[in-house]
Amino acid sequence: MEAIIKSQNEQWRSGIAKGITFIVTKDCQLACKYCYLVGKNSKERMPWSIAKQTVDYILDHENDFKEESVIWDFIGGEPFLEIDLIDKICDYIKMEMFRRNHHWFNSYRFSFSTNGINYHEEKIQQFIEKNRNHLSIGITIDGTRQKHDLNRVYKNSERGSYDDVVKNIPLWQFQFPGMGTKVTISSADLPYIKESVLHLFSLGIPEVNINCVFEDVWKEGDDLIFQNQLIELADAIIDNGLYENNVCSFFQEHLGKPLDRKLQNQNWCGAGKMLAVDAAGIFYPCTRFAQYSLRDKKAWIIGNVNEGIDKNKLRGFLTLDRCTQSTKECIDCEVAEGCAWCQGENYDAADTCTAFQRSTAICKMHKARVRANNYYWNKLFRKLELEGIERERANEHVKQPQMKDIC
Amino acid sequence: MLKYLVILLDDTSTSFCHYDNRKSESRLMPIETLKGGIRFGMMENLMIQFVYPVDALPLEHLKAIETIDHGVIAPSGSPVSADVVVFNDWDTFLKFDYPDMGTFVLRTDSKQLCENPKYLESVLYQVTRLNIVLTDIETMNDEDFEKYDRFLDELRGIMKRLYLKGYQTQCNLITDRIVLDAMNNCNAGTESITLAPNGKFYICPGFYYDGLDAVGSLEDGLDIKNPQLYRLDHAPLCRICEAYHCKRCIWLNQKTTIEVNTPSHEQCVVAHMERNQARLLLNELQDRGIYDKKQEIKEISYLDPFDVKDEW
Ligand code: SF4
Ligand code: SF4
Ligand code: SF4
Repeated sequence: MEAIIKSQNEQWRSGIAKGITFIVTKDCQLACKYCYLVGKNSKERMPWSIAKQTVDYILDHENDFKEESVIWDFIGGEPFLEIDLIDKICDYIKMEMFRRNHHWFNSYRFSFSTNGINYHEEKIQQFIEKNRNHLSIGITIDGTRQKHDLNRVYKNSERGSYDDVVKNIPLWQFQFPGMGTKVTISSADLPYIKESVLHLFSLGIPEVNINCVFEDVWKEGDDLIFQNQLIELADAIIDNGLYENNVCSFFQEHLGKPLDRKLQNQNWCGAGKMLAVDAAGIFYPCTRFAQYSLRDKKAWIIGNVNEGIDKNKLRGFLTLDRCTQSTKECIDCEVAEGCAWCQGENYDAADTCTAFQRSTAICKMHKARVRANNYYWNKLFRKLELEGIERERANEHVKQPQMKDIC
Repeated sequence: MLKYLVILLDDTSTSFCHYDNRKSESRLMPIETLKGGIRFGMMENLMIQFVYPVDALPLEHLKAIETIDHGVIAPSGSPVSADVVVFNDWDTFLKFDYPDMGTFVLRTDSKQLCENPKYLESVLYQVTRLNIVLTDIETMNDEDFEKYDRFLDELRGIMKRLYLKGYQTQCNLITDRIVLDAMNNCNAGTESITLAPNGKFYICPGFYYDGLDAVGSLEDGLDIKNPQLYRLDHAPLCRICEAYHCKRCIWLNQKTTIEVNTPSHEQCVVAHMERNQARLLLNELQDRGIYDKKQEIKEISYLDPFDVKDEW
């Protein structure tokens, strides 16, 4: 289970912000056992010239990037290993947006997903101080110490990294209050869901936003384990009144309803509306389409820093809707609401070279989640009712989520 | 439902469409493969179109071909009598001795086409149907579009003169849209499939010549993965479009956008310029009493449906 503690609301300008991701390095201090980056190495570091060319290209083409705001996202490997480069890129972005009087100058954010190990180091702290009002930082943690150290171990040793990460959380909490958490779970994590979520709550993280991975990793019986873990978690949250100050995104009141073919026909993920660039200056619709994150397919390249974006390679993404990529079973599904997909995984798992074939590996897990979710709300509403709180006013007594499901 | 089987008799069989055939070395379809293809077509109730190379075929191949009702697509230099004659160069196209019947295909890049509208006129007086196939749609830029629109303007003038003189010549670029009231596309992958000399099936000949994945073989049968994506109802732009005459070229789609159901900007712009000129021609012919006034092609403000997709 991987939790990314987000410093601020993920919905920041959601829908109207352009996401631009720099894959600054493929190197990392850790060698997590589940790491999907098959091509991880210490050689592919983004040169300054590529970063600068990318920024120039994007700012030169203001008309092609009309979104009101921008999130400049830095990922790795471990992005803070390249703090000098990142600092230089961010300074250049700010300077150029100002010099060009670009419409993003007052509406930008720098975003990071880090393992948190070197969060306290001077250079990183200086960077945070300098950019404090335009920052969003996520730290990855795997629930309890035991669970975290099982997977998140240092390169060339079996030493776990839990202590080195958790010691930085108070500083990070102090700098970015109001934090939330993002968690991704896979088959082996299922038995630990309840204890991990409760542990994250106990660390002072009030909001835990969880997704099952979209890959086809689910084994026979996993849905039952999942359902039972969620029901145990529901009991713990409700019996201990944790719902007043905490949110776990697995439980959402309006989950699991049928979807209207016309009115609720939108695509789920933002691929095609984002842009990712790697160390060689190659552009992708999102990092999941870069070669190092694909199992079976060729990278989906949409251009490069020299030739720019080939808009034809984005047309499919920008015309994708729910029904065109779904089977009849999904279109008619009684519990479809909240059943998510990842365009990159769809492409990777598809029978042909297409993003128009929805992968449904998550199907039984979503159905299990819906059952546990129904249990949660029935139990919670009954409890509140017995306490004299009417259903219409129940929301005033339940903490509302700030984040939405993120792919 | 599948209706047509295109059989490429040789690796050097002529291209009759947007794709290029750059193979110069002959590789004849083995006679057993040819017979197997014919048997497949018979069993599946498919109309077979044989695509010929320039060189003459061995007698046993010709005999096998005659065992089934079929269509013949052949390059202009081929000795065979063809239903569809394909020209890959302007010289032969202009000097050809046109028979009374038949369909003729001119494959040309937009540059040459835009330079030669006058020459085209003489041929249009001699044939009943001419299909013009652009071979460079994917590389056309704004300047090329402007030239193409000017060419279409001239073509409209030519067609108008022909119709006023009582000719009923068809030219796909401008007259097809006038007579259509629903989509009429190439439909590779849904209505037609191609058998290559190697005994494997492809969505269209272009997929074979580009070395793309086969969709089955005579030995193992047809196996089209994601077949729904070749259908109009699974093409988000095309299904709301009314450039009914557009080829909606699946081969160009995958080449330019990666997706077989998604056209490039260039394909859409070219088709819409043709559509708009067809609209003007229809109006002009209606004014001269040649077409029923009830027929209508609406005025639209865009050249690429992608630009107005949010309004649908
Ligand atoms: S994947 Fe399963 S749960 Fe999700 S919409 Fe399709 S049928 Fe419903
Ligand atoms: S013009 Fe474009 S959208 Fe319309 S049918 Fe042709 S390819 Fe499809
Ligand atoms: S897909 Fe159809 S229109 Fe396109 S090249 Fe092939 S046969 Fe021609």
